[in-house]
Amino acid sequence: MQASVPTATRIKMNSSQTTSRLVKKSPSVCTDLPLSSSDVRDKLRLMKELLGSCYGPTARLKQVHNNIGGSVVTTSTSSVLLQAITSSRPVIGLIKSSVLNHVSRFGDCGLFAAVLCLSLVEEAARRGVGNSAAIRAYDRLLALCTGYLQREDCGCRVELDFCSSRSLIALARTVVSSKPTCVLAEPESAHIGRLAVRAFLLTVPCDAPDPVRLGRTVTVPVEGRPVLESAVFPGLLLDAPEHLCGLAGVRGPVRAVLFSASLAGDLGELGDGRIEVHAGVDTDAQILDRLLELGRQALEDGVKLFVCQKVIHPVLQHYLRCGGLIVIERVGVSLMEPLIQLTGAQPVATLHAAIPSAAYGEVHDVSIRHFGSKTMLHLHPAGETAVCSMVLCHRNETMLNELKLVCQKAEHVLRLTLREPWALLGGGCTETLLAAYVRHKVRTASVLFSITFTSASPHNDRASTLVSQSKNDAPEATSALGCSQTEYLLAAEAFCRSLESVAACLEHDGGASVIDLTHAHHWTLPSDVTEQHLEGGTAAALCGCGALESCQKKKWSYLNSECAEFSPAPLSTASPLRQPAVLDSFSAKVNALRVAVETANLVLDVRYVIQDVN
Amino acid sequence: MERLHLEHVLQSVSALESIILRSFGPEGGQVLFTRDTGRVMLSRSGERILTALHLEHPLARMVVECVWKHSTITGDGSKTFVLLLASLLRMIRATAAKEPHMSRLHNSTAAAAEAATARHLADRLLEFALTELDGLIALNVLPHGSRVSLDDITAKTPPEPSFQTLLLSFFHTRLGNVHCEFFRDLMCELLSRWMGKTGQPSSSFRFIDNNFPALHTQVSGLPAVSSRLIEGHVIHRDFATPWPQQNRRPVKAVVFSGYLQPRLLAAGDVLELGGEESVTEDASVVRFSSWTERSLESVIATLQSFGVSVLLCALKQSSAALALAAQAGMGLVECVSDEEMSLFAQLSGVTPVPDSWAVHPEHIATLTFCKPLILGAHRYVHLDFQDAEERLKVKPCSLVICGPGEEQTDQYARAFQAAIRMLLTAWEPVDKTEISTLDVKETFISNKCTSLPTDAISGESACTSCSMHPHQKCVIEPGCVIPAGGTFEFLLHHALHQYDRSCSVSVSISAFVPVSHILANALLSVPRQIYSHNRKRFLQAQTRVMALAPQQSHILGARLRQTDGPPEDGKQSARSCRKDSAALTLLDLGLESVSCKYHLVLAVVQCLTSLLRVNKVLRTHTVLHTTSHKLLSARLESPEDVDKDESP
Repeated sequence: MQASVPTATRIKMNSSQTTSRLVKKSPSVCTDLPLSSSDVRDKLRLMKELLGSCYGPTARLKQVHNNIGGSVVTTSTSSVLLQAITSSRPVIGLIKSSVLNHVSRFGDCGLFAAVLCLSLVEEAARRGVGNSAAIRAYDRLLALCTGYLQREDCGCRVELDFCSSRSLIALARTVVSSKPTCVLAEPESAHIGRLAVRAFLLTVPCDAPDPVRLGRTVTVPVEGRPVLESAVFPGLLLDAPEHLCGLAGVRGPVRAVLFSASLAGDLGELGDGRIEVHAGVDTDAQILDRLLELGRQALEDGVKLFVCQKVIHPVLQHYLRCGGLIVIERVGVSLMEPLIQLTGAQPVATLHAAIPSAAYGEVHDVSIRHFGSKTMLHLHPAGETAVCSMVLCHRNETMLNELKLVCQKAEHVLRLTLREPWALLGGGCTETLLAAYVRHKVRTASVLFSITFTSASPHNDRASTLVSQSKNDAPEATSALGCSQTEYLLAAEAFCRSLESVAACLEHDGGASVIDLTHAHHWTLPSDVTEQHLEGGTAAALCGCGALESCQKKKWSYLNSECAEFSPAPLSTASPLRQPAVLDSFSAKVNALRVAVETANLVLDVRYVIQDVN
Repeated sequence: MERLHLEHVLQSVSALESIILRSFGPEGGQVLFTRDTGRVMLSRSGERILTALHLEHPLARMVVECVWKHSTITGDGSKTFVLLLASLLRMIRATAAKEPHMSRLHNSTAAAAEAATARHLADRLLEFALTELDGLIALNVLPHGSRVSLDDITAKTPPEPSFQTLLLSFFHTRLGNVHCEFFRDLMCELLSRWMGKTGQPSSSFRFIDNNFPALHTQVSGLPAVSSRLIEGHVIHRDFATPWPQQNRRPVKAVVFSGYLQPRLLAAGDVLELGGEESVTEDASVVRFSSWTERSLESVIATLQSFGVSVLLCALKQSSAALALAAQAGMGLVECVSDEEMSLFAQLSGVTPVPDSWAVHPEHIATLTFCKPLILGAHRYVHLDFQDAEERLKVKPCSLVICGPGEEQTDQYARAFQAAIRMLLTAWEPVDKTEISTLDVKETFISNKCTSLPTDAISGESACTSCSMHPHQKCVIEPGCVIPAGGTFEFLLHHALHQYDRSCSVSVSISAFVPVSHILANALLSVPRQIYSHNRKRFLQAQTRVMALAPQQSHILGARLRQTDGPPEDGKQSARSCRKDSAALTLLDLGLESVSCKYHLVLAVVQCLTSLLRVNKVLRTHTVLHTTSHKLLSARLESPEDVDKDESP
């Protein structure tokens, strides 16, 4: 009977394996010219609507839940939303993976990239621009845009002033307030924005040698407390073990030791062979003796804080506690690095040698803090160590998770400013301004082009000098690109419209998006505002980024309507000029713009799709 | 069992052709794949498109196999391969249908006779290609090509026709219009650093090709224009220990292929504790583990005495080893891949230490720096070698390839590697002794034309690389290029027709359809597809190329007969005709390598022959299938037994 057990089960396993292996592979599904299929177009449009409605501070949230009763996720964040979307169309998968990759590098502007990319594809198809012509033109226009954004006199770039935290807070607040899933009131988002900047500043070391290494912010989520109780502390917060709850705190420099090896009494690495233990030999006791020996040494060396990455044997724990030590086990590998940084200790992994004196570290003092139901042990750094802890409080778990995500993004965005100390105007102003700039460049150039090449009038000389003076784009572009001028102009219009449609996505309450015809900033009008209000200049108080105030002299135009091209005036000419309140990360947005155009080009270039449907 | 007709062969090749055509030529685009795992893949490379297909038909699989073999060697021409193959098959079918074979038996069906004719034609075509093609190319195509030099790789505006143009056209076919100039410049810079001051270019190409996985890093999430070269060598692993901020230069490094902490028990060994025969006092397991720790400490101490501060290990090390290395202020990198280890060994000139006890001064490599490097989401180790420039005559550098998504970075990386392979084929060193004297060959042409097809060439030899063949005489000079856009095909087409005419004048056997005729017409299908969107341009291109062709070949033929067969023949003719070829470059179509094209035609003809030799497909059922049925039925019959057995 006993012998038959394994054979029976093996037979069963075999049969199930072979049947599953012998399922015939179904042939691949092929789609020729996917972009001309109406189904693909519909899906791209649907995706654009879906993602567009998640964009900005007044976005509509999305609930994601799967068909087998998994947990429901409420979000408007691109990284969460895109991961949840599955599509039968590989083209959508392509866009998805590009955007997700961008977000994982830069932490912001994911929705911007996705909406712009989808919109570029859609506009090119709507205007009937040939795919290869559109690709060449888009690439050219992208170079025009990024060139403009790098220029000194760029109208939508703001230099960050590290002497005051004002612009940094504006940057962090824009990230926080653009995620409505956190459900933050105005003062709450301001508070979180300030905390993010404080935590960021704490992780920048003051007098570090070259190359600079940024410190770490450890986030501690606390559920059920009001958001305004969130705080940032220098040093580390660890979950306090139960025996410490009554501890008032240890003053003075505290000697600490860190163990990265397990102290649970398991055997060291001897190799792959077997060990046979005869009766009468108690290996466990032998190892435990060795562990207690280590503990005694730590006690004798005056250690007060005993931390282990893995498990500590209960006997050893008891022994150490009786000696008056603070014992913390199972801190995990992610906390080890900030602990090493904070204490300056070398992690110990050898159990058979004495602990070298160089391995000991030090913390300034240890105190107990209470956050809601949580009791935390606060390790204060002995010197300046660039390690800090951020306690985030929120009412329920969903909001707290989103808040954690948002704070990570804010930290990421703030860190990016160290490399490129600029920010871009937020609230859609950068998009409208870029669109106006591109339109102006392309049209003036093409007008000059037609003068020089079609008329044989005596103005010809002047026109050609104008061509050479102004950095015109269309003539040289069309000759280099090998597409007709009409196609280039159509593609440029598609490009500008796409940029403007991203700005228009910020409005979800039925209001209208307009731009002013002097600075090309983006303004939103509530749905009950009429033309008269618009003319009177009383409709919208501030533009999207908050740098301009409305006044009577301004001329307006609705977005996505035909308007005369004009050269956007620099911000400095505006009066009254205010400090922009809404700022976007420069690095993230420029990269998002590039990724969006490159991905759109790629999608336009796809001629054939082969799907393996097994 | 399934009988294969010519029709079937043509059908399956045409199916492949229809997919390939979407990404062929200047107006071609990408093909997008999704795997069953959901992974997305993008490609314009014919080889990747074909190998990613799940093909049912054995013939189609055979074609894909041939394409794959061809393009792993030359890195190029896989789309043209399928196109040419389909076109040749169509020509052969038309010829076979029109002209019944002489050996037609009374009782055989028309289809069988057609197949026999097709097979004969294919065999003759192969023989023709193996014997005559190189000579024809040397006579009629090479004079219009020119030799590009590798001296001015990084020059901004090199004289036309240049190496840069060749690369640009290649990237054009692989990546579309947008980034090819950027990647061309990157590639030129990469090559200029790896090309030694002396030595063969082909050996540098071979080196980059072999070590490409270790030489590049893919970063997704960044635009393609962020791709760049970085000095030194990147190891695609992070430090396992906190990185010591050392300012000591130079940095000394040692490579380990084994464990730092000795493994006491190998697999199969048994350690007995507390047995009767063992010494009772010291039967502690602690003794053994403390011994391994002590020996680890002594290894670290030895390394410290040498001043070593970086350890590169092939295997995962114990936590004690990591902690001790960290305490000694050493950076330790674990799980370094074999390719990176071998490249490191080649560039640094030191060998890995097999046994951690035996570290000697000759194992210690000297680096100018070694520091963490963050690329995209990963942290790697970045290092550079001291004196590499004097020692190896190259400047080691590593390529970082960026793209918005993984599939694009992968595509860019593959394009790079294929470009290297293409260059390798184009600059294949010529064995000087093999260069034949062309004029000797010319006299035999008329005789050879009449020779009957022989079945002496076995099926195996048809599949082997052409350079293995005894007839093979490579006359194509390394680095010889010709304007792209169908120039090669037009010229060869013309040459084949002329050859055809000369044969039919001297020999009057009209029973045979000249195979050169078939090849000539099939070749034209390639430029036809290139200009498929614009018929007018096809004719324009043809006229322009043809205008140069006839006179040239006469002049050249005369010149070649005068020079008495020194090995420099090809070079001289190529150089002397540079002026004429300038007219061709006006077409502004880029360049392609003549050698790659020649290999392509040969490979296609070989594939064709092997395809037409198959006459039946036997579909067998696997043994596995039947046994599983048996097992399944056995289980169904006695479900109680199984349940009973499982329950205890």
